[in-house]
Amino acid sequence: MGDSQYSFSLTTFSPSGKLVQIEHALTAVGSGQTSLGIKAANAVVIATEKKLPSILVDETSVQKIQLLTPNIGVVYSGMGPDSRVLVRKSRKQAEQYHRLYKEPIPVTQLVRETAAVMQEFTQSGGVRPFGVSLLIAGFDDNGPQLYQVDPSGSYFSWKASAMGKNVSNAKTFLEKRYTEDLELDDAVHTAILTLKEGFEGQISGKNIEIGVIGTDRKFRSQTGLRLVSNGASKQKVTDKWEQKICMVWKLDMLLKCHVK
Amino acid sequence: MSIFEYNGSALVAMVGKNCFAIAADRRLGVQLQTIATDFQRIYKMHDRLFIGLSGLATDAQTLYQRLVFRHKLYQLREERDMKPETFANLVSAILYEKRFGPYFCQPVIAGLSDEDKPFICTMDSIGAKELAKDFVVAGTASESLYGACEAMYKPDLEPEELFETISQALLASVDRDCLSGWGGHVYLVTPTEIKERILKGRMD
Amino acid sequence: MRMVEEGDRKLYPFRPYVCDGMKLDTSGLESTAPVFGIGNEFLSSGFQMTPSFQLPSATDFEGFQKEAIQMVKPAKGTTTLAFIFKHGVMVAADSRASMGGYISSQSVKKIIEINPYMLGTMAGGAADCQFWHRNLGIKCRLHELANKRRITVTGASKLLANILYSYRGMGLSVGTMIAGWDETGPGLYYVDSEGGRLKGMRFSVGSGSPYAYGVLDNGYRYDMTIEEAAELARRAIYHATFRDGASGGVASVYYVGSEGWKKLSGDDVGELHYKYYPVVPAASVEHEMVEVGAA
Repeated sequence: MGDSQYSFSLTTFSPSGKLVQIEHALTAVGSGQTSLGIKAANAVVIATEKKLPSILVDETSVQKIQLLTPNIGVVYSGMGPDSRVLVRKSRKQAEQYHRLYKEPIPVTQLVRETAAVMQEFTQSGGVRPFGVSLLIAGFDDNGPQLYQVDPSGSYFSWKASAMGKNVSNAKTFLEKRYTEDLELDDAVHTAILTLKEGFEGQISGKNIEIGVIGTDRKFRSQTGLRLVSNGASKQKVTDKWEQKICMVWKLDMLLKCHVK
Repeated sequence: MSIFEYNGSALVAMVGKNCFAIAADRRLGVQLQTIATDFQRIYKMHDRLFIGLSGLATDAQTLYQRLVFRHKLYQLREERDMKPETFANLVSAILYEKRFGPYFCQPVIAGLSDEDKPFICTMDSIGAKELAKDFVVAGTASESLYGACEAMYKPDLEPEELFETISQALLASVDRDCLSGWGGHVYLVTPTEIKERILKGRMD
Repeated sequence: MRMVEEGDRKLYPFRPYVCDGMKLDTSGLESTAPVFGIGNEFLSSGFQMTPSFQLPSATDFEGFQKEAIQMVKPAKGTTTLAFIFKHGVMVAADSRASMGGYISSQSVKKIIEINPYMLGTMAGGAADCQFWHRNLGIKCRLHELANKRRITVTGASKLLANILYSYRGMGLSVGTMIAGWDETGPGLYYVDSEGGRLKGMRFSVGSGSPYAYGVLDNGYRYDMTIEEAAELARRAIYHATFRDGASGGVASVYYVGSEGWKKLSGDDVGELHYKYYPVVPAASVEHEMVEVGAA
């Protein structure tokens, strides 16, 4: 056991009963870019800032909202590379479930599996916790759902939540604006407004990202939709959901209304 | 003699109007020797889902225990009963895991969906599913069962008519098979109740 | 084995009785003693006492023979039994014929009436049994005509055993009991296609025989009444049909006494079961859930 002294978990309890590595991971999340999610009456919206280190970065190559399954999307706050590991593992988990049962994985199951991975990394030797929190939005037989998963592996279902920089302000804002019977349009609106609250600099369609899922159980993110709306601006958009989101995506216009 | 015929079995499931029935013989034999006449080949997974396992009895029991294990785990994890289709896919996956050393069983699955729509299916010993709208059969008496079911089955039977049809088909079929019979066991499942009946049959 | 070339064809003569062409001659089995003191060419001209069979002309006769044996591989599932007791011989059998797992008939006559005083039972190949029993019947009748008295069971069984022995190894499948009444009283012999011939008081033949023996050996007494003996035979057949997948159908019971044979019964075992074991409606056990007090 020559290497045993290095192979025990880095997340060891401190005398006060805390796992400081997890707290550090939470700190990493807290200093990450703001993300938020809102569960509306019949849809879920997730949104995040997409601030890039330099204007020279091609913003179309950065995608912070990703699909786990056709009906489940995820956004993170914290370390981008860590999130990709989780996304890869979650997608694999979803595919395995699908292979076994030939039906889409329920949101709760995928959240639990993802959280289990994150927990495992707080107790295994030779690894560190993930420096991300996730917001997972999905729509299945149990309706619209929004979950937040933290580096410790704990997870909760939320009506609306925020994470990353300015989390407390964002949450306070959401608490004020949230109602039970929120419609999708209002929810998108609220999401953008909330982001704008703590936004440093000029908010625009290029430095935020939004994802939506409704009763058609197809998760759509802005990156995916931009192609649609760009094309759609020339031809008529017939799909009901795309229409809704295209409207939303006239973001700059929308934002101007609120800039004061 | 094929290992599938070692113990002998007859298994059939039929679809009725918002209901289904699944029936099996009661014999357990070792080749031609009858060991027991109260053997159970149909198992209840939950109130609206049944599986019958024809073929080698030892494999049927082991497979059943694994299925119970997986189903209970699913129930605990997902806090719901498995849909018949989902269960069929699970069985299929479990069978294919043993592609090169299979369980010598041919399962018959029958269930009611949440919308009271009946579902029946069968598969081979390595999990190739075969869905049917009317009836499925398995076991050493399967040839006779096909004949009897083709002749007797009618679509959209009411529960009691369905019970009569499946019972007569089973009893007629096992009378042409040395390795199955010795009574019958029928489950009749409607959205509101499960009726379980033991059939008297020829004991030779 | 000797091979004879004849043009392109190869003939495979075999066994001592090789005769002209491709016939298998069994006349060696015939009694050499002349009937009425004259050579029996007179009687046998036009027909042979023992049938002879044409042999196939095949290049690989032994292979052909093996295949042929497999092809007519008979359904062996059967239960037959016979026993001697104080008042005569009781003979019983089931009536199922099966091919592998398939039940091809539930109404086969497995007790063959050779003549009014003699019965044969059938186990093994149905065709072989039927044919050779009928052949035996002819021989017995001819014996009767020649000697003005009925053949003994001993004699009849020996005739059959000798014929079967001459075909040994050629794929015949016969397991039979010859039961009857002659001047010495009741007689019972077991004869099979391997050439075996046994005299005995109690026999059972077929796949169900172990089960039948169980009941028979347990219930047998020499001084049974005819009714008791018939019931024992019936029960033994029933139990064999219950345990043996290849036996079933009807349990037939024959009795052979000094007046010849008589069929006593033929019961469908499907009904017999519920006669022997009536279904008693299960007494509903009333267990109430009782609260168990805290220990």
